[in-house]
Amino acid sequence: MSARIELSAVSKSYDGGARAVDAIDMTIEPGEFFSLLGPSGCGKTTTLRMIAGFETPTDGVIRVGGADITRVPAHKRDMGMVFQNYALFPHRTVRENVAFGLRMRGMARAAIARKVDEALAMVALTGFEDRRPGQLSGGQQQRVALARAIVIQPRVLLCDEPLGALDKKLRQSMQFELKQLQKTLGVTLVFVTHDQEEALAMSDRIAVLNGGKVEQVGTPVEIYDRPATRFVADFIGDTNLFRGEIVPAGAGVALKVSPELVLPLPAAPAASGLVSVALRPEKVRLAAGTDANAITPGTVESANFQGGHVLYRVALPGNRHLLVQSRNDGSGAPLPAGAPVSLSWAPADLVILKD
Amino acid sequence: MLSIKIGRFAYLAANWAVLIFLLLPIAIIFVFALNPTPYIEFPPVGVSLKWFDKFFASSQFMSALLLSLEVAALTTVAATVLGASAALGIARGNVPGSRAITAIMLSPLMLPAILTGLALFQTYVLMDVGRPLWGLVVGHCLVTVPYVVRTTLAVLHNFDLRLEEAARNLGASPQRTFFEITLPLIKPGVIAGGIFAFIVSFDQFPVSLFLVSPGQETLPITLFNYLKYDLDGTIGAASVVSILLAALVVIGLDRTVGLRSYVKL
Repeated sequence: MSARIELSAVSKSYDGGARAVDAIDMTIEPGEFFSLLGPSGCGKTTTLRMIAGFETPTDGVIRVGGADITRVPAHKRDMGMVFQNYALFPHRTVRENVAFGLRMRGMARAAIARKVDEALAMVALTGFEDRRPGQLSGGQQQRVALARAIVIQPRVLLCDEPLGALDKKLRQSMQFELKQLQKTLGVTLVFVTHDQEEALAMSDRIAVLNGGKVEQVGTPVEIYDRPATRFVADFIGDTNLFRGEIVPAGAGVALKVSPELVLPLPAAPAASGLVSVALRPEKVRLAAGTDANAITPGTVESANFQGGHVLYRVALPGNRHLLVQSRNDGSGAPLPAGAPVSLSWAPADLVILKD
Repeated sequence: MLSIKIGRFAYLAANWAVLIFLLLPIAIIFVFALNPTPYIEFPPVGVSLKWFDKFFASSQFMSALLLSLEVAALTTVAATVLGASAALGIARGNVPGSRAITAIMLSPLMLPAILTGLALFQTYVLMDVGRPLWGLVVGHCLVTVPYVVRTTLAVLHNFDLRLEEAARNLGASPQRTFFEITLPLIKPGVIAGGIFAFIVSFDQFPVSLFLVSPGQETLPITLFNYLKYDLDGTIGAASVVSILLAALVVIGLDRTVGLRSYVKL
């Protein structure tokens, strides 16, 4: 019952202006939890709305389950959708809201009643059938919206920042529930969000969008550990970015950030000249004192104790800085400002980026 | 504490003053209608229903009342359908110059109604159609459609388009989406406009003045003609009846079609 979604060279521009979505190619596998992640205006919502059929692509083809649906009207696409502010029908009860899609499909009343009960049980809302949306809390409205979308057993479930309006705690529990529900139903789920933590936590794969283009598609681990571009590295999590020139160093190559700071590279990048690299703060090992085997010495500038770990800002030679996340191993207070430290990491943790 | 009390008292007093100012003429009409003397007398000398008897016994008044109700009913239906459709077109149709169209739709409210009536009268003369009933209804529509457009535009302005998208997504065709989602949600605005249309048509004088044919006059015109020669409590009785009828229609519409049939989010 789940379907593959294919976007080929899909573009959308409004009134001949700039392209909100610019020649996107993407394949979403059946049963996959797929996130479209990016800052506002990156084209993620427009992409979702084109899949739903609320917008028509200016160019390109959208296929679902192999069939071209680019020009199929929204009401014939057989997709469930959860809207950002839920879009529950305010003049209908919870039961009527959930039953709506089944009624449109001409299902018999008894069957509708049974399916609605099942769907409401699935989202733990049994007993709320006769309330109106206005009488429910945000979390409950969210569940009704979810029940309304899944009760029609869609091939594809589309979610437009569905958890955005919930407070943090509720959002986390809804993340688990949604993920669980998606796996149980085996439905292909396309999830739009600007919250990178949410995307990392929930997705099988993520497409990072920027300026209407796909920057990178990959699993959460790939996106986080091996960002392809400077934008992805910067957008997802905390990161240290360096830019420098490729120079030969011994048997291999190194990145010359400044005359005082030369970082060994794992392999020669395809590009020559100036390149950018990323280094995650938690990949850096920080030790007090000086160590000739370390990659570079540094001086603690500030230490930010965050409970489970300490976030150091370390001054490097050549007036550069490095964020270092150090696990709180119970060895006592963070190092004071001004303390000399030595920093090392596996050269492979230095990720070479496309600009 | 005292200043709060004084402020509160002043506020209430001002409210009551406005209310009395608005309702006093109606109270005077009631006194006039129930007073047995054929002129307005204060304090009233007694209570009698003889002017009501005279009003209901008069075939002239009765046929005028029926005509007024008929015209108002036709106008309400036509103006509501036309005004609501126009508002939907303006708000949703993506038509160029929708602001200008809105202004044109609302312009009859800015023109003195007597000019609207005169212009229509001349148009009908030029068209050589005489003074048919539909001509009167068209005239009334001209001055009532703007109310429906206004109230419908107001509810459409606050309408969340995602509700329609949600319905489409769940498999509702554009037509079903309109009747299942859009119409029920904009209904309060449409009905409010319809009620305005009924009231404005029912006591329409300036437009009707030119468009009624002799012997086939609406109640306001008949009252005016009666006033020119006679002045007695029948006028008061007729006024009371039309006030009550209008109130009855408003309450009836509210109860049956419902203004509060949905809970606001």
